[in-house]
Amino acid sequence: MPISPSRFRDHAARLLRASWLHPLNDTDALNDLLALANPRWSLTEIRAEVIGREPQTADAVSLWLRANRLWKGFRAGQHVPISVEIDGVRETRVYSLSCDPAVPGLLTLTVKRQKDGRVSNWLHDHLRVGDIVTLGDAGGDFVLPDDCGPVLLLSAGSGITPMLALLHELRARHRAGRFAHDVRLVHVCRDAGDQIFASELRELARDWPALRITHWHSADQGRPTPDALLATVADHSERDTWLCGPAAFMAGIETHWREKSCAGTLHLERFGAAPQRLEGGEAAEVRCARSERVFNTEAGEALLPAAERAGLNPAYGCRIGVCRTCLCHKRSGTVENLVTGERSGNGDEWIRLCVSTPRSDLELDL
Amino acid sequence: MSTLNRKRLSRSDAAALQADLDAVRDDVFASLGEKDVAHIRRMIRRARGSAIAGRAMIGLGFDPLTFVAGVAALAHAKIVENMEIGHNVMHGQYDWTNDPALNSQRYEWDNVCDAGMWRHFHNYEHHTYTNILGKDRDFGYTILRMSDAQKWHPFFALQPVWNAILALAFEFGVGGHDIGAERLLDGRMSWQEFKARSKPFHKKIRKQLIKDYVLFPLLTFWNAPRVLLANLLANLIRNLWSYAIIFCGHFPEGTQVFSEADSEHETRGDWYYRQLCGSANIEGGRAFHILSGHLSHQIEHHLFPDMPAHRYAEIAPRVEAICAKYGIAYNTASFWRQYGTVLGKVFRHALPSRRTAPVLAET
Repeated sequence: MPISPSRFRDHAARLLRASWLHPLNDTDALNDLLALANPRWSLTEIRAEVIGREPQTADAVSLWLRANRLWKGFRAGQHVPISVEIDGVRETRVYSLSCDPAVPGLLTLTVKRQKDGRVSNWLHDHLRVGDIVTLGDAGGDFVLPDDCGPVLLLSAGSGITPMLALLHELRARHRAGRFAHDVRLVHVCRDAGDQIFASELRELARDWPALRITHWHSADQGRPTPDALLATVADHSERDTWLCGPAAFMAGIETHWREKSCAGTLHLERFGAAPQRLEGGEAAEVRCARSERVFNTEAGEALLPAAERAGLNPAYGCRIGVCRTCLCHKRSGTVENLVTGERSGNGDEWIRLCVSTPRSDLELDL
Repeated sequence: MSTLNRKRLSRSDAAALQADLDAVRDDVFASLGEKDVAHIRRMIRRARGSAIAGRAMIGLGFDPLTFVAGVAALAHAKIVENMEIGHNVMHGQYDWTNDPALNSQRYEWDNVCDAGMWRHFHNYEHHTYTNILGKDRDFGYTILRMSDAQKWHPFFALQPVWNAILALAFEFGVGGHDIGAERLLDGRMSWQEFKARSKPFHKKIRKQLIKDYVLFPLLTFWNAPRVLLANLLANLIRNLWSYAIIFCGHFPEGTQVFSEADSEHETRGDWYYRQLCGSANIEGGRAFHILSGHLSHQIEHHLFPDMPAHRYAEIAPRVEAICAKYGIAYNTASFWRQYGTVLGKVFRHALPSRRTAPVLAET
């Protein structure tokens, strides 16, 4: 009787975990062996080869990646963690995908140089075509519902990156006859030379009349106020809106949305570093149950840098509260999430060290 | 206030010693990078390659030559994996790389000692309370009397025999160490607690036995007795080697022991001082240092247990100079000298002797 592919995968996964088969199923060793044959091959890691680089602006570059078969695909608007090794240290950052999700295995992300950014500058200066990077699964809820009305996409700077994927998806729905409304994209950047995806957007708009693109060049027009920017789309308050850009830009639009009680749903995608410190936070003492150590945090500081300063080496990834690599079990005490401002309970729960700041003394399983 | 005898180390010297050694540590940690990761990955490839070659020769060969070469290759693989990779990775020496394959909390090594138990009694107890009698259970491993400062008991009269058994079954000695069976014998631990504490050890023994004495013999079943014997020999060789290296770490002539009273409220300078006085190095070439997992640089290892071990050789001259500056003996000698004095102690302390106070004891 033939075994179905999914049954086969289940059996294979069980054999990879079976302790009686060790070391024949040592995945670290098998992965290294596979990588000798083809650097993209792996049993457990999504490894991707850089197959192209294209400068978008003076400080933004697009990377084309071809992932191995462990890549499960993504929904338009989602982001992906990408890991590279820089001088012996594995670093992970999260970038929005800009490509058409209907094209399998081929991924595009765009990296803007950050001032003093360890990873973004390395990707610009050292990553070459043919190199291998490690990806995580795509994530995020900045996606289109199955059924949507007229759409407004609002972006600034590299906030355009998830918008391009959303546009690919909307156009595919439009062509399949599942989406008949119009789409407005309002994008803010410094000037025409600072425009990421200029040619892709032109191409999309050419044979898709329902798409209207408005550019706001802040070098000529000045930094837009939320009112002025939204005035370019008369019916914006009725539209389901997707918003992505620098924190201050997003905060302005959010406030406008709240104050004017806009009817459309506002979807948000935050990027960039989380606030490093919480204003008005307090210093705290953290007891680490596993390593039997104690360290102190400075007022409002996240737990991860404080632990590292104390000589502890907790696992970490993105450091901005996305990838969950630094997930740690809290035994007692209260923390506040630096991104959302949410307060935790006082007892047993899992927290992310990179975006949690103590609101009381803590005990962690670290 | 630190209670360390002021004649041994003045307060100002303790502070200066701390600053000098911290500077050594900071220099190395500031320069960690690609070459350190390249070293440990090279070691991982070496251990794996050697294990594959060894197991292939053992399982597929028929002649005595491949048997001997196979056992040697497999023993070499286990030694490199346990000493240079496992021990050092589990110390957290490569946690800064953020590579899950080099993470101290995730790594599990190729012997019967459970990694979680080892991290507790070795990383925490032994490295924190080094050579403090009554607190460092690694001093004599609770079955050997290695200093006049330890109370004699008739049990120790046969300790040359216990020593030989421990050498041959070293991985089991290390694996069972964290259970604390001596507390069961003197009634401080219940049978239930003993059973619960033994669980990870039992699980790990089962895993190791299945691998070396069931799985690999079955893979080449026509050769099963040969494979069984070869794996047993490779494990024995690894046990003897790691026993010999590790016994040269804290027991050779000249290493000192401390009392609990010595170490109350100690500063990091005092702690460094205790590590310097309580550890001994073995001289040798680069290949020897690697096979010993750089425990031949036991002094440097005890000062900086989370520094990538292949850096110890480069800082050793600085540490020795710092020792000279503060008049602290830097105990280094050949393997035969160090191990000879260890064996001498095993025999000497089997007999009762006048008990000395550890604070002044030269063991």
